[in-house]
Amino acid sequence: MAEARPQLAPLPSVLSCRDLSVAYGSRTVFEDVSLEICVGQWTAVVGPNGSGKSTLLRTLAGLTAPKTGTIHLQGRRLSAWPRRERARNLAWLAQTAAPTELTAAEVVALGRFAHSGWLAHRKAQDDASMHRAMRATGSLAWAQRRLSTLSGGERQRVHLARVLAVEAPVLLLDEPTTHLDPPHQEDVARLLREQAHRCGVSVVSAIHDLSLALTADRLIVLGRRGVVGHGTIRDALAGDWLSAAFCTRVDIVEHGGVHLWKPALAAPDLER
Amino acid sequence: MSTLRHAVADLGAERFEYAASRRFATWLACCIGVTVLLTALSLLVGTTSLEDSLKWLLSPDAQSSVVLWQIRLPRTVGAWFAGALLGLAGAVAQGVFRNPLADPYLLGTASGAALGVTVCLMAADASIGGLALMGQIGVTGAACIGACAATLLTVTLSRGVLQTASLLLSGIVTAFLLSAVTSLLLLTKPEIWREMQTFLLGSTSFISWSSATLLGIVLCICIVPAVLLSRGLDALTLGEDTAQSLGLSLPWLRLGLLGMVALATSTSVGQVGIVGFVGLVAPHLVRETISVNHRQLLIAAPLGGGALLQAADLVSRWIIRPAELPVGAVTACVGGAYLVFLLWRRSRDG
Repeated sequence: MAEARPQLAPLPSVLSCRDLSVAYGSRTVFEDVSLEICVGQWTAVVGPNGSGKSTLLRTLAGLTAPKTGTIHLQGRRLSAWPRRERARNLAWLAQTAAPTELTAAEVVALGRFAHSGWLAHRKAQDDASMHRAMRATGSLAWAQRRLSTLSGGERQRVHLARVLAVEAPVLLLDEPTTHLDPPHQEDVARLLREQAHRCGVSVVSAIHDLSLALTADRLIVLGRRGVVGHGTIRDALAGDWLSAAFCTRVDIVEHGGVHLWKPALAAPDLER
Repeated sequence: MSTLRHAVADLGAERFEYAASRRFATWLACCIGVTVLLTALSLLVGTTSLEDSLKWLLSPDAQSSVVLWQIRLPRTVGAWFAGALLGLAGAVAQGVFRNPLADPYLLGTASGAALGVTVCLMAADASIGGLALMGQIGVTGAACIGACAATLLTVTLSRGVLQTASLLLSGIVTAFLLSAVTSLLLLTKPEIWREMQTFLLGSTSFISWSSATLLGIVLCICIVPAVLLSRGLDALTLGEDTAQSLGLSLPWLRLGLLGMVALATSTSVGQVGIVGFVGLVAPHLVRETISVNHRQLLIAAPLGGGALLQAADLVSRWIIRPAELPVGAVTACVGGAYLVFLLWRRSRDG
């Protein structure tokens, strides 16, 4: 454990929501959620299946209209943003992407959609952003391949590159590590942290893997009835938010400076 | 740093587009070559024998030049334009609905046009008060109006263009509704059934220079917004939510493109009747041979559709000459066979 940090002034918030409630028809997904997403921090959203991780991200991205509550992006109401300007400031990654026949480069180029007009040709600046994004995600080698010919993990990295190519100050990523093998999951985690700390991007990502989520700067823990807790990893562990959210005992152990989720299931007897 | 950036950017995206555009260029060259060949052939095929047609071409007289330049040439040019409109409309419809089985008639245009023609023929037959007006509009005008009205009805039924699923359903409802009305009307007036048949099966035999010009103008009008909005269609392939998050306005995109589809199909239905399968098969043919983005597809599909309908027109005139088959029957046979081939290949491959 790192030594206790001095209490700092609250981090400035770039995206915030107040008293947010979302319902699909008569089914309420969550109620009265108030959050502040901090600048230059990587925030992981964790919670059991059906707790509304995706819905929260979709709502913050302006794709699902909330029943009640308000969302502010950079101090301005989300609904008041002009469409294209908002798309330049807020990038969203879907949990599952539709299959497409486009090439990786064409998909990443779509990330620059809001920067250039529909008619305008891609500028050198757009190409530079695309290149940076593809290099960061390690997808540059497939630039010329069609997405339908790539594996699930490779495809995921191309979509991640598309989101990075937007160069938005806020990234909302729904399960960016799905389909990735563990080393590549770690690469993505490293990438997100780098985006947050080095580029000052505010990253919010739903993450399934608890051990991976605990490498983030902050945690939003969703339970069955809304937010269980929202704060630093230290707060989350001290308050045992994960056990409360999953309604079962969740053991987190510390090993060599990282926090790991420890399954209650004993390992099989290897000698037998 | 900036020079380095440019150098690597060139490595990344630019080169690939070059490779793709070479295949695309090959496709375009093939289509144009086939079109020129078909146009030349279609001048030779008609009620006269090949030798006579050749003689006409080499030593024209007053009668032959009328046949060649006022009947055969406008017909084949018009067929090309109509096919191109259908190919374009089909490619756009498949993109907007994100469904490779969408075809240009899914907004109910075909049955709307059929109803328009029925009403027109009945009015002419009954020589009632509407006759003068109907005579001015003509069968093609009535078909066009019917198709536009059907599109409006579809969009009204689905309460706008926000929901793709309800648009598709409304299109089906409209088609059934208008077909039922048409059938009812035909029951009361069985004698116009034969005339209706020509229209329902599709026919290129009425195309004059004026209708070919109209088709050409509409094609030029339609292709501009289609190609301009093609990046939006590309974004739409990633899913509606992702497209929206990229800054695309879905309602405007749909409105613009579906308006274009309605204009293209109603014009072509008005001039050549209900020609099936061209709008469905032309974009498929492009995607199967060269996978492309929408900007390329929306240029390649009309070229393919044009050549397809021109070829079908030629076949329909050739097979049982000096008589003619309805061109819609030929496209249905060829298109159906092609789709069966696709199905067979899919099931074999996987």
